[in-house]
Amino acid sequence: MSAALVELQGVTKVYRLGEVEVPALRGVDLAVRPGDFLALMGPSGSGKSTLLHLLGLLDRPTAGRVLWEGADVTRLNGARLAELRGRRIGFVFQMFNLVPNLTALENVELPLVFLGVPWRERRQRARAVLERLGLGDRLRHRPNQLSGGQQQRVALARALVTDPALLLADEPTGNLDSATGREILALLAELNRQGRTIVLATHDPEAAAVAQARLRLRDGRIVEVA
Amino acid sequence: MLLDILRLSLRNIRHRGLRSWLTVIGILIGTAAVVALISVGQGLQRTIARRVEQIVGYNTILVTARGLNLGQRIRLDVEALRAIPGVKSAIAVRTETAYVEGPGGKGFLAVLGYDPAMAEFVTEMNLTVASGRALEAPGEVLLGSRTARVLGAEAGDTVRIEGRPFRVVGILQAQRAGGFATGGLSLLDLLVISLSELRQLFPGPELVHYAVVRLADRADMALVRERIRAHLSAVGERNAALTDFEDLTRNIQSVIRGVQAFLAGIAGIALLVGGVGVMNTMYTAVLERTREIGVLKAIGAKDSHVLLLFLFESGLMGLAGGALGLLTGLGVAWVATLVVSRVFEAQGAFAPALTAGLVFGSLLFAFAVGALSGLFPAIRAAKLPPVEALRYE
Repeated sequence: MSAALVELQGVTKVYRLGEVEVPALRGVDLAVRPGDFLALMGPSGSGKSTLLHLLGLLDRPTAGRVLWEGADVTRLNGARLAELRGRRIGFVFQMFNLVPNLTALENVELPLVFLGVPWRERRQRARAVLERLGLGDRLRHRPNQLSGGQQQRVALARALVTDPALLLADEPTGNLDSATGREILALLAELNRQGRTIVLATHDPEAAAVAQARLRLRDGRIVEVA
Repeated sequence: MLLDILRLSLRNIRHRGLRSWLTVIGILIGTAAVVALISVGQGLQRTIARRVEQIVGYNTILVTARGLNLGQRIRLDVEALRAIPGVKSAIAVRTETAYVEGPGGKGFLAVLGYDPAMAEFVTEMNLTVASGRALEAPGEVLLGSRTARVLGAEAGDTVRIEGRPFRVVGILQAQRAGGFATGGLSLLDLLVISLSELRQLFPGPELVHYAVVRLADRADMALVRERIRAHLSAVGERNAALTDFEDLTRNIQSVIRGVQAFLAGIAGIALLVGGVGVMNTMYTAVLERTREIGVLKAIGAKDSHVLLLFLFESGLMGLAGGALGLLTGLGVAWVATLVVSRVFEAQGAFAPALTAGLVFGSLLFAFAVGALSGLFPAIRAAKLPPVEALRYE
């Protein structure tokens, strides 16, 4: 068994909503290995998104440890975490979350901007990824000039442009019709076949079916692995 | 990378269109007010410095009662001043109150002892007569128009000053700016006779409103001042003060600067309000783009990137407001100057000042106001926890 890319050890996450403490995760152990394609399943509120955010180093656990390639990153400062996210992790969201006043090409370039990649190389890489995802003729379009499926593919391109070790997708088909959703899922499966490590959060069994393994969450715990 | 973030900021500003413009206008008005006031103020300073130089001249010393009080008379002998080494020429303005009888009236009136040399020092002493002619010979007098009415006299008549007859040869023209040169009295209310005759009528100690001393070329100002002081104490005058061109300019300039600083301060309040407008716009922008901030952080933006993104936005709006405000302010100053010149019929060119300091200072200041106003919103944006920002609806 190869070493884990990212590993959660006894992770607990509690949110504070005013006076009330809401436990989102209650002691989760999980290891994601290179080449994995995991689906996190469960009803809303089961802790899927929280788990995804912790894997993506967007949030810190209340208790427990997060190991990234064997190193404890729980106590790294915000700038170091941001850099890790920028270099090693790609995110795809349910709402696409493209920057509305940037073109498709500029949106895809954005992660490279924060990494300080020079303009020419940035443009080249962004264009290459978009073309690979079949958006070569939509480079100068703004998000509101694109269909939902196209927007999600731009978002996917933005996540892939840094060639991340880990791709995280939070309900990526939730805002798409089923045909377009299937296209995106096929893309993810294809990416995994090429060796990309992917964790997908979804409550749609059809979406989960493309993954190699399915983890079912309930009330902040992993209750089933299939 | 900075340039890329700057470009992003510019995009966001353009994207907000109308709202950005309204925010910019807030800064514009403030900057325009400050620029206009400073420009007019500096122009005024220059003009006054020039006028003072014309009236008094560089190498000139004014001898007056303390506090430049021309109403109070001081004791000095103008002949003694003329005899001081290093003094090229000197005049002293002296008036006396005399009992005057005319064909149609009589009373105690002020009589000015006139010396043609006075005109060389004081523009107002270029006496212009409305009717008749100037003084030419002993036994002649010029009347101010109000004095002429009091005495019921006109050119050709004879009036008696302290019992001695003088022939009226002319009536003085009313002057716009009056009083300063004649020790607080208007020329309209005076009789003018020659200085030597005034001395004959009032042989007592020489009491003058003020004296003007002009130095010879390359004379030592400090030395001449010392000698004038020595003369003053020799005649027992303790209440006199010496003022030279630099003192006078400094005094006037400091007054103008004070007024200008006060006005600019008030205008600065307008700029402050503009800054509050920027702050409001930026807080709104942070709120609206909370989710976007979360996304940026998820794809690798550091807090510092987000901070810069928003700081550039507010700073650029400040800069734009500053640039437009600068142009507007200069325009306003130009118009104001025209109006002022027209209303007060100011002599000589009175132009608003346009200095490099004013241009760069106002631009820098407007940028700083924008950036500072955007600081707290930008810090809030930078500190947003990414997960919360992403969840924001």
